[in-house]
Amino acid sequence: MMTAPYEQYADSRDVWVFAEIQDHERVLEGALELLTRGRELADALGSRLIALVFALDAEQYLPAIERHGPDAILCCSHPALKHYDSQIVPDMFADLIAERRPSIVLFPSTEAGCDLAPRLAQRFATGLTSHCTDLSIMDHPDYGPGLLVMKRPAYSGNAIATVICPHARPQMATVQQGVFERRERDDVATDIEMLPFSYDLTKLRIESLEAPLRWDKPKVPLEQAPVVVTGGRGLATKKNFERLFELAELLGGEVGATRVPVFNRWCGEERMIGQTGKTIRPRLYLGFGISGQIQHTASIVDSEIIVSVNTNAGAPIAALSDYVVTDDAGVFLAKLIERLRSEKRG
Amino acid sequence: MLSIIVCVKQVPDTQKAVFDPKTGAIDRSATGNIMNPDDRHALEMALALKDAHGATLCALTMGPPHADEVLYEACALGADRGVLLSDPRFAGADSLATSRALARAIERLGPFDIIVTGREAIDGNTGHVAYQLSEFLDAPLVSQIHRIRIDGAHAIIERQYGHEYQTIRCPLPALLSVGSRDNRVRHPRLADIAAGAVQPIRRMTMDDIGGSESDYGASGSPTIVIGAELFSHTRGREALPGGTAEKVEALVHRLKKHNILRY
Ligand SMILES: Cc1cc2nc3c(=O)[nH]c(=O)nc-3n(C[C@H](O)[C@H](O)[C@H](O)COP(=O)(O)OP(=O)(O)OC[C@H]3O[C@@H](n4cnc5c(N)ncnc54)[C@H](O)[C@@H]3O)c2cc1C
Ligand SMILES: Nc1ncnc2c1ncn2[C@@H]1O[C@H](COP(=O)(O)O)[C@@H](O)[C@H]1O
Repeated sequence: MMTAPYEQYADSRDVWVFAEIQDHERVLEGALELLTRGRELADALGSRLIALVFALDAEQYLPAIERHGPDAILCCSHPALKHYDSQIVPDMFADLIAERRPSIVLFPSTEAGCDLAPRLAQRFATGLTSHCTDLSIMDHPDYGPGLLVMKRPAYSGNAIATVICPHARPQMATVQQGVFERRERDDVATDIEMLPFSYDLTKLRIESLEAPLRWDKPKVPLEQAPVVVTGGRGLATKKNFERLFELAELLGGEVGATRVPVFNRWCGEERMIGQTGKTIRPRLYLGFGISGQIQHTASIVDSEIIVSVNTNAGAPIAALSDYVVTDDAGVFLAKLIERLRSEKRG
Repeated sequence: MLSIIVCVKQVPDTQKAVFDPKTGAIDRSATGNIMNPDDRHALEMALALKDAHGATLCALTMGPPHADEVLYEACALGADRGVLLSDPRFAGADSLATSRALARAIERLGPFDIIVTGREAIDGNTGHVAYQLSEFLDAPLVSQIHRIRIDGAHAIIERQYGHEYQTIRCPLPALLSVGSRDNRVRHPRLADIAAGAVQPIRRMTMDDIGGSESDYGASGSPTIVIGAELFSHTRGREALPGGTAEKVEALVHRLKKHNILRY
C-alpha cells in the first residue's frame, strides 16, 4: 500500500509519538521520555501532542501515557497487537498519517521503532533520522520556520551530525532511550480516541510456529538502573562475567555489557550498552575489562560517576573515568564483592 | 537452486578514520575503505544457504567506481557475480534514495528468492535500507536470525525478538537483515581471492534502472545534513593507588562519599 506524499504542509502541524508497549506489560520508558520531549516541541510549535498506542488490552496503559502530557491518545486494543507486528502496525499507522497529517512523528529507537519508522518513511517518501540524541525546533533562513532539528551520532559515534527534513512530511526521528528526561505533568487535558481494529489478519505473511520463549531479562530496564556494572572482553570468561550479577545485587543495580560478552553469549543482547544497544545514565557506571571504544562510551557519558577497571592504564576508558583502577578485572571484582559482603554482614 | 542477492556497501574504515577536527567530516582521502562489517555477515548468511541448499549468489553495491573492490572481495568469498550500480546522479543519496535505487536494480536483476543485507552500515548507521527494501519490494523481512532453513517456498527461521525467542515460517521471496551477532564470517582462501579478482562485474547506471534524476542522489533525498561536530568527554581520571585490597578500599570510600553506597 503506497500513500502519496503530502502536497502541502499547511494543515500538517501535530507532533506524534509512538507510545510503544514493552513486553506487553508496560509503557516503554523511552516512549514516556519522548512524550515529555514531544510536549516541549509541540509547545514550541503551538501544536498538539498526540500519543499512539497499539496493544493488547491497551486501556491499561492510558493513565501512564496521560500523565506525560499528550493532548490526545489514539488507542487501538486487540489481541493481534500483543506483539509488535511488522505488517499490522505499519499499515494502521500509515492510514492514520495519511488521514491526519502530523508534522512530526517520533519513535523510540527500539527494535519495533526501528522497523516501523523506516517503513513509514518509505511509504510517505519522507526523511528519517535514526538513533537521535537531541531534538529541537528551529526557524531556518532558507528552509522556513518550525523545522525539527535532529542530532545523531555519525561515523560510528565519532561525530554528531545535525539533520533536517525540510521538503517532506512528516519529519521523522527515532530516538535512543535514555537521552531525554521523563516528567509527569497534570496541566494538560487528554482526549482519548479508541480506534477500531479492522485489519484483515489473513493478509499476514509471517507465521509464528511456536510460542516465544523468554530469556535473560534485566529486572529493571538498564536505562533506569541507578547502578550499572558492566563487563567487557577483559573479564575473559563467562564465569567471571556471571559474578557481575552478584555485584549488581550488592549495589542495587543491573548488569550491562559491551558487544563482546553479548557476542560470546555470556549474556543476552538486552544488556548491551552503546550505539547499537542502550544509552544509560546511572548514578554509577562500573566498567570491568572494557577498553572504551566510542561505540560503547558514547552511551555512558552522562553517568554521574564512571569507574573503570582495566589492566591497561592507558585504555581509552580511563580518559572518561572519574576513578581509574589499574588491575585485573576478575580479581578486582572478586575482591570487591568479598569486601561489600563483609560490610553488609558486619 | 536458490537465487540470492546480497547488498554490500563500501564504507570508510571509521575505526581508523581521520577526521577534520573543525567540521567533523571524515577525511576520505586519508581513510581506507572496507566492506561494511555487517555485510560480511550478510554474505556469510548467503554462503551458508548456498552450502546447505545450493544457490547462485549475486553481490550488489551502489557507490563510486572504486566500490567494485567490495564486489571482487565478495566473489573471492564465494559470490558468483557482482553488480556495481554507479552513476554521478546517485551521489549524495540518503537511505530512502539509496533503497529506491537498490530496489529498482534488484527488480531488473531478479527474480530472487532471498535478498540479504547487513543490519547497519558503519558510515551512516541508519539501519534503514533493509526495511525500506522490504517496502519497495513488498517482501517480508526477518532480522536477528539464529538459525535458518529453506523448506520449499518458505524459510523456517529461529530468531530473537526483544527478550524472546521465536520460530517463524516466512514465505519467499524474503529479505534477511544480518548483523555481526548472527554468525561468524569465514576467511577466503588465497586461491579463491585470485579467482574472485577475475569475475566479471556488471556495471549499471540510472539508465539501466529507470526513473528520473529527482528520484536519486541528493535530489531524491528528503534529509539534509546541515552540520557535524566531533566530540570528546574527559573526566577527572583519579588513579586509585596500592594493591588490589587498597584499591577496593579506596573505591568503597569514594562510593560512600558520593552517597552511592549506603550502609
Ligand atoms: C557499527 C558498530 C557499532 C557498535 N556498537 C557497539 C555497542 O553498541 N556497544 C558496544 O559495547 N560495542 C559496540 N561496538 C563494538 C565496539 O567498537 C568495541 O569493539 C567493543 O565495545 C569493545 O568491547 P570491550 O571493551 O569489551 O573489548 P576490547 O575492546 O577488546 O577491550 C578489552 C579491554 O579489556 C582489557 N583487559 C584485558 N584483560 C584484562 C584483565 N584481565 N583485567 C582487566 N582488563 C583487561 C584490555 O586492556 C582492553 O582495554 C560497535 C562497533 C561497530 C563497528
Ligand atoms: N550503497 C549501498 N550499496 C549496497 N548496499 C547498501 C548500500 N547502502 C546500504 N546497503 C545495504 O543496507 C545495509 C544497511 O545499511 P544502512 O541502512 O545504510 O545502515 C548495509 O549493510 C548494506 O547491506
